[in-house]
Formats: sequence, structure tokens, C-alpha cells
Amino acid sequence: MKFREIFRFEFAYQVRRPWPWLFVIVLLVLDFLMTRDGSVSEVLYSEFFLNSPFGIAKTTVFGSLIWLVLAAPIAGDAAARDVATGMYPLIYTTSISKAEYLGGRFLAALVLNALILLAVQAGILLGVYLPGVDAELIGPFRPAAFLTAYAYIALPTAFAATAIQFFMAARSGRAMGAYFGSFLIVFMSFFVASFLLFGKGLGTLLDPIGIRFVVEDIAHMWTPIEKNRRLIGLEGIVLTNRLLWIIIGLLGLIITYLSFRFAHRTGITSWRRIRQLFTPSKSATAKVQTPIPAAPGILAIKPVSVPQVQRSSNFITDTHQMFAIAWASFLSIVTSWAGLFLLAFIPLLTIPVVLDQMESKSNPLVPTTIRVISELTASLADELSRWVIIPFLIVFFAGELVWREREARMGEITDTMPGSAWAPFLGKFLGLALLLVVFLTLQIGAGMVAQVIMGYHNFEIGLYLKIMFGLQLTDYLLFALLGLVVHVVVNQKYIGHLVAIIAFVFIALASLFGVEHNMLIYGASPGWSYTEMRGFEPSIGPWLWFKSYWVAWALLLAVTARLLWVRGRETSFPVRLRLARQRLTRTTVWTAGLAVGLILTLGGFIFYNTNVLNEYHTASEMKERAAAYEQSYGQYSDTPQPQLAATKLNIEIYPERRAVDIIGTYHLVNHNKKAIDSIHVTTVPGVETVSIEFDRPAKQVLTDERYYHRTYALDKPLMPGDTVQLTFQVKVEPRGFRENGIDALVVANGTRFTNSWLPAIGYQKSRELIHASDRREYGFEPRPVIASLYDRKAREDKGTGGGTLEAVIGTASDQVAVAPGALRRTWTKAPQSGSGQVRRYFHYSTDGSAGGEWGFFSANYTVLKEQWKAPDSSGLPVTIQIFHNPQHAAHLDRMVRSIRNSLEYYTREFGPYPRGYLSVVEGAGNGTGMHAEGGMLTYAEGFALWHPKDTPESLDFPSAVVAHEMAHQWTVPYANVEGAPVMSESLAWYYAIKAVENARGHEERQRLLDFLRVSQIRPEIRRGEPLLRGLDPYMSYRKGPFALYTLSEYLGEKKVNGALRRLVENHRKQGAPLATTLDLYRELKAVTPDSLQYLLHDLFEVNTYWEFKIDGATAKQTVAGSWEVTLDLQARKLVADSAGVEKEIPTNDWVEIGIREQGKESGKPLYRQKHRIRSGKQTLTLKVPHKPDLIVIDPRQLLIEEKTDDNRKEIKL
Amino acid sequence: MTLQISNISKSYPTGRSTRVVQALKNVTLSIPNGMYGLLGPNGAGKSTLMRILATLQEPDTGSIRLGDPSTGPVIDVLKQKDEVRQTLGYLPQEFGVYPKARAEDLLDYFAILKGITGRQARKEVVEALLRQTNLWDVRRQKLGGFSGGMRQRFGVAVALLGNPKLMIVDEPTAGLDPAERVRFLNLLSELGENSVVILSTHIVEDVSELCTRMAIINKGEILLEAEPLKAIDGLQSRIWRRIVEKSALAQLEREHKIISTKLLSGRTVVHIYNEEDPGNGFEPVTPDLEDVYFSTMAGHIGNRKPQVAL
Repeated sequence: MKFREIFRFEFAYQVRRPWPWLFVIVLLVLDFLMTRDGSVSEVLYSEFFLNSPFGIAKTTVFGSLIWLVLAAPIAGDAAARDVATGMYPLIYTTSISKAEYLGGRFLAALVLNALILLAVQAGILLGVYLPGVDAELIGPFRPAAFLTAYAYIALPTAFAATAIQFFMAARSGRAMGAYFGSFLIVFMSFFVASFLLFGKGLGTLLDPIGIRFVVEDIAHMWTPIEKNRRLIGLEGIVLTNRLLWIIIGLLGLIITYLSFRFAHRTGITSWRRIRQLFTPSKSATAKVQTPIPAAPGILAIKPVSVPQVQRSSNFITDTHQMFAIAWASFLSIVTSWAGLFLLAFIPLLTIPVVLDQMESKSNPLVPTTIRVISELTASLADELSRWVIIPFLIVFFAGELVWREREARMGEITDTMPGSAWAPFLGKFLGLALLLVVFLTLQIGAGMVAQVIMGYHNFEIGLYLKIMFGLQLTDYLLFALLGLVVHVVVNQKYIGHLVAIIAFVFIALASLFGVEHNMLIYGASPGWSYTEMRGFEPSIGPWLWFKSYWVAWALLLAVTARLLWVRGRETSFPVRLRLARQRLTRTTVWTAGLAVGLILTLGGFIFYNTNVLNEYHTASEMKERAAAYEQSYGQYSDTPQPQLAATKLNIEIYPERRAVDIIGTYHLVNHNKKAIDSIHVTTVPGVETVSIEFDRPAKQVLTDERYYHRTYALDKPLMPGDTVQLTFQVKVEPRGFRENGIDALVVANGTRFTNSWLPAIGYQKSRELIHASDRREYGFEPRPVIASLYDRKAREDKGTGGGTLEAVIGTASDQVAVAPGALRRTWTKAPQSGSGQVRRYFHYSTDGSAGGEWGFFSANYTVLKEQWKAPDSSGLPVTIQIFHNPQHAAHLDRMVRSIRNSLEYYTREFGPYPRGYLSVVEGAGNGTGMHAEGGMLTYAEGFALWHPKDTPESLDFPSAVVAHEMAHQWTVPYANVEGAPVMSESLAWYYAIKAVENARGHEERQRLLDFLRVSQIRPEIRRGEPLLRGLDPYMSYRKGPFALYTLSEYLGEKKVNGALRRLVENHRKQGAPLATTLDLYRELKAVTPDSLQYLLHDLFEVNTYWEFKIDGATAKQTVAGSWEVTLDLQARKLVADSAGVEKEIPTNDWVEIGIREQGKESGKPLYRQKHRIRSGKQTLTLKVPHKPDLIVIDPRQLLIEEKTDDNRKEIKL
Repeated sequence: MTLQISNISKSYPTGRSTRVVQALKNVTLSIPNGMYGLLGPNGAGKSTLMRILATLQEPDTGSIRLGDPSTGPVIDVLKQKDEVRQTLGYLPQEFGVYPKARAEDLLDYFAILKGITGRQARKEVVEALLRQTNLWDVRRQKLGGFSGGMRQRFGVAVALLGNPKLMIVDEPTAGLDPAERVRFLNLLSELGENSVVILSTHIVEDVSELCTRMAIINKGEILLEAEPLKAIDGLQSRIWRRIVEKSALAQLEREHKIISTKLLSGRTVVHIYNEEDPGNGFEPVTPDLEDVYFSTMAGHIGNRKPQVAL
């Protein structure tokens, strides 16, 4: 009865407050927008229904996240209102029990929260079913999708979060404690769960809101069909996770119950209580409780003899006051739990995070300062970054500071203090700033400690200071100011938090609200970048302009806060406005004027740069343009065009001006069977295509500078086999900066660009709209991402690019320029006039085709030159040149070794290396990847920082990557149809696996396989399409190479390599057709014996997976002394069709069975033989010479199996 | 130094409807140097007036000026807020402290906020005030552990910082034990020498013990503005008393204008206001300030008298 009444009163009380309704509205609107936007985050694949179960689950996760940071006051108020308002003596002395009191309050908060979270589902429903959505995007209505999302995701989260918030608030006696509870949960899911423990399963388990298991795991693991149809089920890790968090919630409740007392709150912290236990009773703390009584009566009178002191009131006093307030504000946060969290807990945790992140793909990297810094910083707008906790904390602290005096009920005293209102506002801002400075200093310390732990001592303090205090701090300070201003203006703490967090959501997800330009998003700017080659260039200029502009806005906001600063009792807005008018002093007006002036000048300058000097298009305008392009010129997509046979380029790079001049000539050949009467040329936005001329009479019949399309009518048609020469000039020079900054392509040091600036021949399909929904919106047929494997015409389409390349490339005299091909000659040229500079020229030309993408580089490279000759002296010697940043040299030996090993193995197995040269170029950038084109490997600076342990047990991953990229030199020209990534990536990884085994033995090969198996964080899943039509990374990097490796184990390496060699020989020939997976399949089929054809079919043609399970294994010694093992097992083989529907297939397949000898944990197995295993239960009897220990089916995981832990069993003796 | 309050009115919205509560109605007062008592029951508008004087609230109409036109500049309290604050000491009716701060540190902090920027001067003032308020021995203790009286004294110390010329003390004695109250009033009485000290209270003794001038306020209106001694004089031979049983009270109430009743050993002491001897067992008493207060509240004297007399 009492319980019910407590519940009822609490519920009714809170429902009548404004904020539950505000939360509902905010959640409704945001989830509506998220649903309408279709995808919240880049990480998600697209192409599912708006109301697919997955889409609903995903939006529910984000909705719950927003609920978590907004709705903390519900639990906080329920738990702490009595203490905060001082009502508690009245309530604690009634005859209620703890269970009734806490239970009623908690339940009321929980029910309210559960109801508020319904707004998420309502928002999704409105997003789906309100008018304005393409009907084709909406799938059938399934209430179960909404119910499961609500019941499995939102409700357990609500329970755990409410319990934790309730606990924190009850403990601290302050409703704000609940926010802190929310931060802990956000911190768990973004910081701890995502990064520290990711990949070990624990991360998914510990994530309280589902960011990991929905937004990351399911997003990657489910097929589009599954995403559209499959409901989120309470099973596996999801079930464990939900149970775990319900248990954590229950634990929170139990602790709340046990630690709660109906007692007077003395304000003694638990820390004090602990300390008291260890101090003698006459401690100072005891004295606090016994105030010295004042002497009574008249006798106590003493004349008031306060010394007359000088009081001043001027600028210096105001400054003095400001610093006093700043220091007091800083101290108040530092001594709070949240401050301790920020300044102790986070920096301490940062050390293991940095240590953990100083590797890529589980291989260690050199912890250079910039690499460590990149782990310590994040753009404020990055809502999925682990540092998202910082803006939340800033909002929290801003609220605490603005309300500090009033919450201590000292507001009336401080408000009557003399001095300008600037002092308290700026003082609080400075206090917060100081806090952030200390935090970032500690973060720098954490980064350096991590570096020391890894034995790295080149700290680059200057870089730390520049980035942490110059760049990151600016972001935080701008936001901190906004947080303070919001709290001042709103003047209601909860609503202030709400508004500030919405402001953050707006900043982070502005595009959701249709706002894209950085000039319209508070604090936004193009990002900065730093690499050892480039430095901060050229990102820092635009960054500074934008930040200055936002600082001017911040100044204006500060003026607003100063004018609306609440002093005293008058909180109604009209009165505050009246007071603001009174406060408009000359200085304030001038400051505001200055701010407005700055906003206008800086804004004008930025706008001139981004929208006048450069073109600016919103995302929807880009779509419109793509649609218009297709509308206007799509008709030419099948018009025969000549193909590029040879290209000559004269490139002048001016690094100091960031400019490039290119004069080029295309030799075009008509490979078609029909004559060509007009040539379509596509030019490139952002560069100036000065001239295009033909060596035969041609009329320019169409020049569309809006969509970059030109048409030239040839006076005399180009006959089949005829050639025509096209000469063009392209000028590249940045004009100011763009809305997203300046392309870092041409820079003072570390220039890298490709042929994408050059005019292209024919209509460019790549400029069309891709997403089906976008295409529908503009009335186009949906187009497949890639042509079908069985589309004969697409298979024959060789495009208009390719051919040989000859380039003369000039650059500054202290730099080396690189282009595809062999270096023929290099020279310097003195300036013709007096003012010019000496320039250096390089002449490159390719043997045969230069491939599709041509890379051009210029930097102050050091060049390492090597020669390689085949051991049997066959073929040409190969000149290897490595162009590298002089600071990066540690990786060179390893690289050269792997290149030599690769050349040797591939030449022997798959045919000669087709060129006399190989260029390896380091490009500016922090990535750790490598890329291959014909005769050229390129890598980003990060690749030079791989730092393998080089112990016998560790994987030498960079060498394997080099082997993989080298293998691309043997990639056959393949058609751009389904299965293309299998042709390039799967084959190259198979080559690399074999090359690694050849160079370093089968143990290294096994390490590489283990790595590849884990690095694609996807369990064996029932994908829609078979390997022959494989497109996605799982197919190309995981399933493909493993299928080939399995074949090599079943058929023998020789047969598989032989088949691949024939594939290379057949398709490398001049004029040979482009290869597809069907050609690969044919060659493999040819070498496969009849008895194993089924395996080939299972791996390539259909989606097969096997299921094995050992029921029991026993062994007994025979009279002869050997051992007889009896194995009971069952097997199943299933095939899934493209929709994921499974069918069981009777099987009688060859499967390996391995047995380990007792006492021999490593090394050669006691027994490994292939056995025929049929469907269903069966018993096998095996003989082994020594005492067996463990038996495993398919020990090397050659067959595709989802669950392998039931494949092994201890043998019973 | 004079504080001239003219025609101050202030109303609050009641929340539910468009009706408003009139907290102050046309208040006009002239307050000279010295202790000035503002006496009135709970909810009379005292605190509103005090907060307006302390620059924390805005009146709807009226003006307030501080200063003596003949001797120096006059401050418009409502417009020149910062000038007022330069010379203001304010002790609110109810206030808290930062529980984790130490008395000395917090007082030092307030000294800076009050513009005492010199380090040495600040140290001296803080020490003097802590000694004055008898908090010197507990200066290193956290304020969270202070008793109500100690906290009140700390508030006085804050208010006294920087030698204010205008002291506003809002119901300071409520909740203090008798000893603390005496101490506290002693402290205040020293202040009236050359500044304006306004003390609001609902306890008549506070005023009678301390103030040279006073005003009685009820329902937002000033009912009486007087010097306590003169007001008491004015009641000579007009206050009569009789001790009766509780049961006789109703009868008595019908026959006489009772201004106050109080219990004495279980019987009721009745005071009535009458310009002549009412007979009926009543005996004359020497009036005190309490009789002034109750007579005013009952409408026998002061501003409300004409209306009541009609």
C-alpha cells in the first residue's frame, strides 16, 4: 500500500514536470530524423528497408544512447530530491521501510523511463509512415521488429542505466549524480568496450547500449537479406550481454538498498568514513562536529574594529576577481568525483589504450608521437570516437559551474558582490579551461608514458604542445564556452543540459538536420592533418580561418551570456532582457560590435573562398548534379569511343606554389568494329582544363562546363584501327580554400596525385548515382554495383583507359619526382630568366601497360637502388628503386628481402615478372597500408612504422603485405564483373600465403593464416552469393584465399599453382580476353581429380558449410603396444542459397582427422589422415603407434565451419 | 548617508492564472544612518523589500536613492547597481555555504570579490572579521560542519567585508539560540555608527533592543514609520490589560478591541487598546514596543488607522 502510494506520488510528480515531456519530444524528433536520414553513420552498409528489423534496432540503439545522456534527471530526481530539497527529515521519520521507499521511487523512475523510451519507437514509426517517403523503401509492417528492439535493446538498457543512475544519485544526494552514472555507461561502451577489449569478445559483452553488437557486429555480419528480414534474437552474445547488464543493474539496486540509511546526512564522504576508521578519535574530523560555543551575553561584546581597507573597483580588480573565481571553479571540479574521473581515471586508462592501439592488425607499430597523438585526439563532431565522453563532461561541468553558488544557496550573497558580470562568467570559463589544460597535459603525460613503456624516446614535445594545446584545446574551449552560455541563457539546469546536449548532437550529426556547411555548424572547420612528410600543410590555414570565425561567434555568445547573466531573483525573460539593456555599457557594445565585425569579415572572407573562388555543393546538390549528368549524357554510355594506347605527359610540379602544370598527349586507337565520328571528353572539376586539341580537323560541338562534358565532332570519322592524337593542358592551383579545406595533393614536401586530373575519354559511369533510392528519386532504373558475372558484354568491356605511359616530370631542385615506369634520364635545368629557380627533371616510361591508376610523386626522397636477377638467369634483371622519406629507413631491409623472395617464388611458380623495373614509393599520409599498380608499389608513411617483434613465434606481417602487393604484379587483367575482387585480392593473398611459406616455413604460414582468419571479424556466415560472384571484403580477403589454400592441401600445391600459372599465361598475352572467376574455375577444374570435384563445387559454386561434432573418443592399447582409437562423431553438410535459406546435402566427404600424442603439445601431430565422413552419426576406428591425447576433426580448419569448438575432444583411455 | 525609498511596488504572478500577488504597495521610507528596524509578520514583504535594496530584485515601479545630496553623489539603487554593490553588505534570510570550503579560505575569496585585492590588507581584514565573529578558532574547519549560529556569524563576516555603508540584514535572528542572538545583535549594534543598517525581523525585541528608527510593514504596506521610543510614548495610558480564564475570552472579544493575547501560567493575558479606561476589570499597563506593533497591526495607530476608524 505504502509502496503503491510512493510509486504513484513519484510518478505523478515527475509526469507533471516539464522535462519528461521535453525528453519525449527530443527523442521523437531525433529518431524521426535518424529514420528519415536512413543511416546515422558511415559504418553502416546501406540498401535495406526503412523499417527493416536491423534499421529499427540500430535507431533504437542510438535513441537509447541519447536517452541515456538526456534523461538522467528522472532517476536522479527520484533518488535524490528529498535530500537535495532538504525534505528528507520529514520523510525519513515516517514509518516506511527502505524497500517501500527505494522500491517505489526506483520503480516510478523505471516506468517513466520505459515510457519515455517508447518515444524512440514512435519516432521511427513516424519516420517510416508519415508522408514523404518513397513507398518502395518501406517493407511490410512487422510489429515484432519494434517490439523486439524495444524489449531486447531499450528495456534492459533502461533497467541497467536507471539502476546505476539511481545508485549514483542516492549515494551523492544530488540529482546530478545520475548524469555521472550516465557518463560511466557511455564511457563503458565507447571507451572501454570498443577499444580496449575489442576483438576479444569482451568488448561486445561489456557494451551496455548495443553500439558494439548492433551497430558494429550485426552491421557487418548480416547479409542485406538478413538485415531486412531477421529479427534481433535474444541469443548468443546478445543474450549474455543483456543478462549481464540486467545483473549489473540488480547489483546496483542491491548496493543502493544495503548502503541506504534513513539517517541524517552529515556530508561526510565515504572516503572520510574510511579515514576515520584509521585515525584516533581526537582527530580533526571529530572537531568539526563540535563547534565552539559562542560566549553568551553582553560580556562577550567587543567593539567592531575591522581595519579600514582600500577597496578598489577597476579593471585590475575585475581581473583579480576573475582569477579568484577561475581558481575556485577549477578547485571545485577537481575535488569532485567527476573531476577525479576526468583527471585521474581517464589519463590512467589512456595508457593501456594507447599501448593497445600502437599496433595495427595485431602487429606492433613504432609509437611515433603523431601516432600516439592521433589516439589522444578526436574532432568534437566525431560522435563515435572514444573521446565523445569529453564534450559530455564539459556540458556537465559547465552546468555545475553556472549553478555552483545557487546550489550552495550562496547565490544571494555572491550576487551582491560588486564588480562587472564579466568576472564571474569569464572566471568560470577560465576555470573550465584550466581544467581542460590540466586534462590535456595529463593526456600528454599518458601518451609519453606509453611511449616509454614501448621503449620509444623521441617525444617531440613541440608536436604534443602544438596539437594538444593548439588544435584540440581550441575545439574543447569553443564547446566549453557554448556549454556555459547555454546554461546561463536557459537558466534551468536540466533543460540547460538538454539544450547543450542537443547542441552537441547537432554539431555531431548536423547533416541529419540538413546543415552541411562548416560555417553553419558551431565550432566546425575542415580537419587538420599532420604527417612527418607534409607537416601540418596545407590543412592548417583553412582550419585557422574557420576557428577564428567561430572564436568571433564565441565572443558574441559570451556577450550574450554577460547580458543575460542572472543575478538575483529576477529570472523571467522579459525582466532579464530589460536588465540586459541596462547592462549595455560602452565596453559591452564595443565588444559585441567587434565580435559582429569579426564574424562579418572572417565569414565574408571564408565564404568568398569556399563559395566564390571554389564551387560548393551540398550533398543533395551533388546528387542533383550526378542525376543531371546522367540525364544529359547517359545516352553516350554505349557510344563507341577510341581507347588509350599511349600517353605522353609533361608534368611541372611547383611544390612551393602547390601548383601543377600538365601538358599531355593521348594516342587513341579505335578498337571498335565501327567508325567513330565524335569523341566525348570528360574534364575534371577543381582543375582548369586549358585546351583540348586533336591532330585532325575536329569541331567542338558541345562544351558543358557545368557538368564537365565536351563533345568533338571529327570532320572525318575515325576508322576501325585508326589512331588520333589528343593534346591537352591541365593547370592545377588551389584558389584559396574549399569548404572542406585544401586537398593535400600538392604540397611543399610529399606531393602525390594520380591521373584523375586528366581528361577522360567517353561518358563516365563512375559519376552516376549509385544508391537505388537516390536513383529512384531521380527516376532512374536501379543499377547493379557491378555487372553480372554472366554478362557477356560487360566481360568484354576493356574501357577507354590503360596503355603505355611516358612522363617527363619536373620539380623543385631539392626533390625527387616519381612516375610509373623505368627512370630513363634525369637532369637539371637552370632558369631561363633571372628570377626563376633551378629545376630537376625526370623521364620515366613504362614497359607495356601502366595500369589504370598512375601515381605521381614529388618529395625530398632518398632513393635505395637494388638489382634482382632470376636465380636461373632467365628473364630481364629487375631494377628495384625505393623512394623513401629519409627519416624512415628501418623498414627497408625487410621490404627488400620480401620483394626478392616474392620475385623469386612467383617467377618460379607463375611466370616471369613482366617488367625491368619496380618502383616502391612512400607517399605522405598516416595510413599503414600498401597499394600496388603495374610496376609500382606505394605505401603511406605508417607502413614504414611497422615494428614486428621478430621473434621465432611472431608473425612478420609487413613482409606478408609486401608479398601480397608483389603478387598483384601477377594479377591477370580481369573483367570488371562480379568476382573481380576475388580475381585480384583472393589470388594475391593465396600467392602471399605460399610465398611466406616458401621463405619462412610452414609455421609462419600458419601464423599468417591464423591472422587472416581473425582479422576479418566475421564468423563463418551464410552469405548470399557464392565465391565465384564474390564482391565484399569477406569474400575477397577471407573466403577466397582460404578456398584456394584448402584446395592446395587437398590437391597438392603443384596442381593449384600450375592451374594459376596457366591462367596468367593465357590472359597476359596481347589481345587476350579479360579473365573472370569462371576462367579461374575452369583451370582449377582441369587439375582436380574426379574424386574431389565436389569440393571445388562446394567452395566456389555454392555456399557450403560443414558441421562436425565429436560425441566421444576412447582408446585402448593393443597387444602389439600400439593404440586403437574409437571415435564417435556426427557430420552434416548444408548449402545456403542466395536468400540464406539452407538445405542439407548428403555427404561422404574427405575430412582430415588429427590426433595429438600425449605430452607433445606442439610439433608434428601423432596422426593426420583424411577420412571419408558421411552425414549423420558414425564410428571410426584408428590405429596410432603412441599413447594418444586429443582428437580433432578438421584440425587445420580447411573446411568452412561455423562452430569449431565441438570438433575436439580429450581421448578417454 | 540616507536611503530614500519612494513609491516602490512589486507584484508576483501566482502561477496559475493572470492574478498577481501584490508583495509591496507603494512603499515610501526615508532611512537615515543608524539601525533601522523593519518589523512585520511572515509574508509581509520584508524580504522582497530587502532583496530590492540588495540589487537582487527589480521593483515594478518606484525609485530608491542612496546618499546625501548635500555631502556627495547620490546613487540610484535601481540603475547603478554596481555602485550600490561597492558599498553594500547583505546577509540574506537564508543562505548556504560551500560545505567543503574552509571558513578562512571562503572569506578570503569573498574579500577578493568585494574588491579587496591587496594581499596584506585582505589578510588583516579576514583575521579581524574572524576574530570579531568569534570564528577565529575554527577558521581551518570546513563550513559543512558549522552550526546554524556559526554559519550566521560567518554570513555577518562576509557582509561586513569592506566596510559597507549600507547593511541589509534579513531576519538574522531566526533560528539562533538566545546567547547567539545576543552576540549577534551586539555585533550589529556596533555598525550603525556611520552607515545605514536595515534589519528586517518579525521579532519585536530585536527592534526594541537595537533600532533607533523603525517601520512596521504588513501585506506590502508600511503601516507605521516611527522612532520606537516615541511610538511607545504615544501609547501611554491607552493600553489596558486583564487576566482572564480562557473561557471568558470569547465574551471579551465581543466587547473590546483586543490587540493581543498571550498565555501566562495557563491563563490568558489580554491587551486592549482604548483611549479611556474601559473598566470591566482592566488595569492600565506601561506600553512596550510589542503593544505598538500589535496596535498598528490591529489598525489603531499608523497608516491604516483612518480606514479602520471609518
